[in-house]
Amino acid sequence: MTTTIIKTTTRILAPLILVFGAYIILHGHLTPGGGFQGGAVFASGLALLIVACEDRVVKRRFEKVPLSPLESIGALGFLGMALLGLMGYTFFKNVIANSGFIFGGRTPIGINPGFLNTGGTLAYMNIFVGMKVLAGLTSIVLIFFLLLGGKKDEW
Amino acid sequence: MRRALGLFAFLGFTLFLLGAVMSLRPFGEPIHAEMDHYFISHAQAEASANNVVTSVVFDYRGFDTLGEATVLFTAVAGVLMALRRKEVKG
Amino acid sequence: MNFGELFWALQVLIGLGLLISAIAAVRFKNLVSAVIAMAVFSLILSLEFYVLQAPDVAIAEAGVGACLTTAMYLLAIKNTADEEVIG
Repeated sequence: MTTTIIKTTTRILAPLILVFGAYIILHGHLTPGGGFQGGAVFASGLALLIVACEDRVVKRRFEKVPLSPLESIGALGFLGMALLGLMGYTFFKNVIANSGFIFGGRTPIGINPGFLNTGGTLAYMNIFVGMKVLAGLTSIVLIFFLLLGGKKDEW
Repeated sequence: MRRALGLFAFLGFTLFLLGAVMSLRPFGEPIHAEMDHYFISHAQAEASANNVVTSVVFDYRGFDTLGEATVLFTAVAGVLMALRRKEVKG
Repeated sequence: MNFGELFWALQVLIGLGLLISAIAAVRFKNLVSAVIAMAVFSLILSLEFYVLQAPDVAIAEAGVGACLTTAMYLLAIKNTADEEVIG
């Protein structure tokens, strides 16, 4: 699976896919998409990087990537943002919206071009869920590749 | 006998599904639209986000997303536990 | 051609593509070909979601269904035989 065509295509295409996934995660409260969709796109870019290379290259490349801590930080951060609503309100209350904190700007009502500094807890939850989804799906593909693959490499 | 039974089941399911499709509402005109109108007119002021779908998913119906995150976490943990070996660190 | 006729023509084309790719995914004997047919099915399904004005679901379907599932199937097939065994 590691021909020159696939390697060249990956070298050109993978950065574009990763940037597109990060864009979907970070602009989840403005444009279509969100944490899950952006995480899936980002994980597909990382899966392209995994599948197109040899076994030892993948091992060296993903040795220092903290996938399990990212997954745990994503889940705990999502629960923490939900628990933040318990400060006087209910679970999952959007407390940061319209408060002036980071991502706490005020959205004009009606049709507007979209401002990044809005959204309240939605932006934080998008980032945490995206982190969690990309770590989970990438670790599944990586463990499939490292445990099952690597024996016959002729196609 | 089995082929006749299979053909009968196939025809029955096809007629049932065709009847169900014929009785669908036209595209874009749901029956119960009160919640939709509330979300569309209030989401920008309450959740301060332009994307109403994200504000529904993460704010109004947050428990749904919590369950989905739990399902994904359980699936990943199950796969990693079933396939883990000593020398591989996922 | 106004918008309604174009909408229905696109619906019929997408339905035919879905049916053909699903039948191909079932009928192929080579498992790699069947997995590629499933990826084509997911891609056409994401196009259908986009036409029905649900871009969120379209992005999720294109990312998970057409890329990650295909990668997992190919990595699982890679270690086993890639021909279907008729027992």
